[in-house]
Amino acid sequence: MTNSNPNNSSYGLTRRQSLKLFGMMLASAAVPVLSGCATSESKVSAVASDWPTLTIEPISVAGYGQDPSLIMPPPSPWPKTLTQQQIALVSRLTDILVPASNGQPGALQIGAVDVIDEWVSAPYAQQQRDRDSILRLLIWLDEESVRRFDQPFLAVNESEQFALLDNIAYDRNNIEQRLQQPAAVFNRLRSLVLAAYFCSEAGSREIGYQGNVAISGDYPGPTEEARAHLDGILDELGLSEYAYQP
Amino acid sequence: MTKFAHQVVIVGSGAGGAMAAYELTKAGINVLMLEAGRDYNPKTETPMFKRNADAPLMGAATSDKNFGYYDATVDGGWSVIDEPYTTDDESDFLWWRARMLGGRTNHWGRYSLRFSEHDFKGKSRDGLGADWPFEYADIAPWYDKTESLVGVCGTNTGLDDMPDSPPGVLQPPPTPRIPELLVAAAAKKHGITAVPMHRAVLTRPKDERAACFYATPCGHGCSIGAAFQTTTSLIPMAHKTGHFKLITNAMVKQVNTNDEGKVTGLTYIDKASSEEVTLDSPVVILAASACESARIMLNSASPGHPNGLANSSGQLGRNLMDSTGAGLGATIPALKNRPRYNEDGHTANHLFIPWWGHNEQHKLNFPRGYHFELGTGFREPGAWVSGDFSGYGESLKDEAKANYGASVYFALRGEMLPNEHCYMDIDPDVTDKWGIPVARFHWQWSEHELNQVAHGLQTAKTLLETMGATVGELPPPEQAIAKGGEIIHEVGTARMCDSPTDSVTNQWGQTWDCPNLFVMDGGVFASNPHKNCTLTIMTLAMRNANWLAGQIQQGAL
Repeated sequence: MTNSNPNNSSYGLTRRQSLKLFGMMLASAAVPVLSGCATSESKVSAVASDWPTLTIEPISVAGYGQDPSLIMPPPSPWPKTLTQQQIALVSRLTDILVPASNGQPGALQIGAVDVIDEWVSAPYAQQQRDRDSILRLLIWLDEESVRRFDQPFLAVNESEQFALLDNIAYDRNNIEQRLQQPAAVFNRLRSLVLAAYFCSEAGSREIGYQGNVAISGDYPGPTEEARAHLDGILDELGLSEYAYQP
Repeated sequence: MTKFAHQVVIVGSGAGGAMAAYELTKAGINVLMLEAGRDYNPKTETPMFKRNADAPLMGAATSDKNFGYYDATVDGGWSVIDEPYTTDDESDFLWWRARMLGGRTNHWGRYSLRFSEHDFKGKSRDGLGADWPFEYADIAPWYDKTESLVGVCGTNTGLDDMPDSPPGVLQPPPTPRIPELLVAAAAKKHGITAVPMHRAVLTRPKDERAACFYATPCGHGCSIGAAFQTTTSLIPMAHKTGHFKLITNAMVKQVNTNDEGKVTGLTYIDKASSEEVTLDSPVVILAASACESARIMLNSASPGHPNGLANSSGQLGRNLMDSTGAGLGATIPALKNRPRYNEDGHTANHLFIPWWGHNEQHKLNFPRGYHFELGTGFREPGAWVSGDFSGYGESLKDEAKANYGASVYFALRGEMLPNEHCYMDIDPDVTDKWGIPVARFHWQWSEHELNQVAHGLQTAKTLLETMGATVGELPPPEQAIAKGGEIIHEVGTARMCDSPTDSVTNQWGQTWDCPNLFVMDGGVFASNPHKNCTLTIMTLAMRNANWLAGQIQQGAL
């Protein structure tokens, strides 16, 4: 299900490279990152930062253009660029974020890592920003893991992985400064993994999307259950007397 | 090919051009249509039932496909490769173009609201802008015919901001969805009425077009012809008359005139060969979009028309208007985890909020109205998941599921007034790939629009809070208002009025200076009511092409 183009390994960093860079980190950096809101950017000043400051090469391949086939979308519109090591790390993160449960596949099983790889390998502005920050997050996770447990993220046990993520996965408004950037980018990655999961057939079913089916005759509208639920809401909000009359 | 002697050349195949072509060919007049983009066949090219998961980047918008991968727009969007436009240093303006047969009708929102008598007489009412050169009563029968031909679903509401259609014209609207019903109740508490939207979507079959089957967003295009676009209706219908010929990839450079200043034809670039082709034509109709038609006319200056073709009034390119746009949304806690059902419907508003303040306008600090379109529903999952998330694992998934379909977004669409700072001219320094000088835009909102947006945001906040949402501090209107052009309702650049001294055309879209040159797109609008321009573009094109057919048949042209 995954394949990293071997010709493009130079786009990303291997874990070995990132660990080497760890020793060269400088204090203090201000890098634009995505905040909790996916569309707004903010500068998080990371004093005494351990946020990776290496140069990440942008993607310079062509996009799909202004007239791609909408009937047969290109299955592989541009080369995927994550290295095997990065794929392994993202795969683990997708599995932690949306695990398989109750007979439902999780983000790992539906191939979210492919979606992320396509996303961070795309030549468009939003995706390039995400690429820059997510690749740094992957490096940071390994470095943080080494700092805390003397081993990169995938080499430590599950409870250690959770302990590390717990520091950046909650309450972004009250997080210590050193962790603000990793937390913001983790949030962005989390949104992307959720999107990939709910876009999939299994995820779409699970979230309860019931559309995209042809209906003959008139649109049936809300079910009795949905109408009864609305009546409850109107009552609760004191709006029953204003209910819509066609 | 048999010899085809055209009597009229129409530039553009969108709402205005295709309607004019159908009306003229139906009357037996030979029409040659030029379209700057490629041929397009919705029957074979529309991504019906395609899922976001099957598109690159989960269908997300990119700089190549600005409204998402599956948006019907071909070779266009906010930019067209090799065909730039510019703005002055102080202005923000966006210009959406499509380079395809059918133009922007392939992806438009299909909202189809009639203008009212008071809309046509705004200046008489408050002294601002310009009156139109006719009454509502003059155009009402043409709205009837256009709605019947196009197919519009909705109801007669009796509201004076929504003129009724005669019985039998409107098709039944789809039933409202849960969040729309909640908004309607919250609005009613404040004396504001929500009603069925009028949309150019068939809920009953018409001609060779099927009724909506309530799947696939209309912005993708519609292979079954339920959502109106000229490529499944007017253009095939014009073809069937035997009086119609189409040339695609024909980028018009200028309209040509003789020594007397009369229009003799036009020159276009054949994009395939990059060669210039000059055509003679007894009559030319420009329907290339308000700004493209004005660009052609401004680029057609000659000794007889030193300031641009048919610009003796100096109004060509002036009075550029868009709709105002702003929005406010929030999660409604009571809608979390609500029961699931299929909410696709006709994929846009079943209910909306028309302007309720028309009769109280004098008490407000802005002169013209707006309406709210609603963003709600169990939409097909895509690249953006709504919610402010925390943690991971099962609880994360539950939070995302709870938030699904629980937000309500109010999108304001309002009337702006023309002002001296909003206009287009020709950039003296920039040409496109074809050597044609490009449009340059100038833009500045006035306090009329800013006050209106402030009012709209405050109203949206009140309604959201009435539904139990928490809404933070509102942004100032200067920040909240969309950029000029961003709502894609640009009109007014060749306006029609009563007098040749302050307008470009008469009420028939006939330019005052050249009797055989017509404008039949949004350029002719004398004002830009908040009610989405396309229905009125089509109605005027039908009425005025009908008048033109009479003129040709009488030998007047």
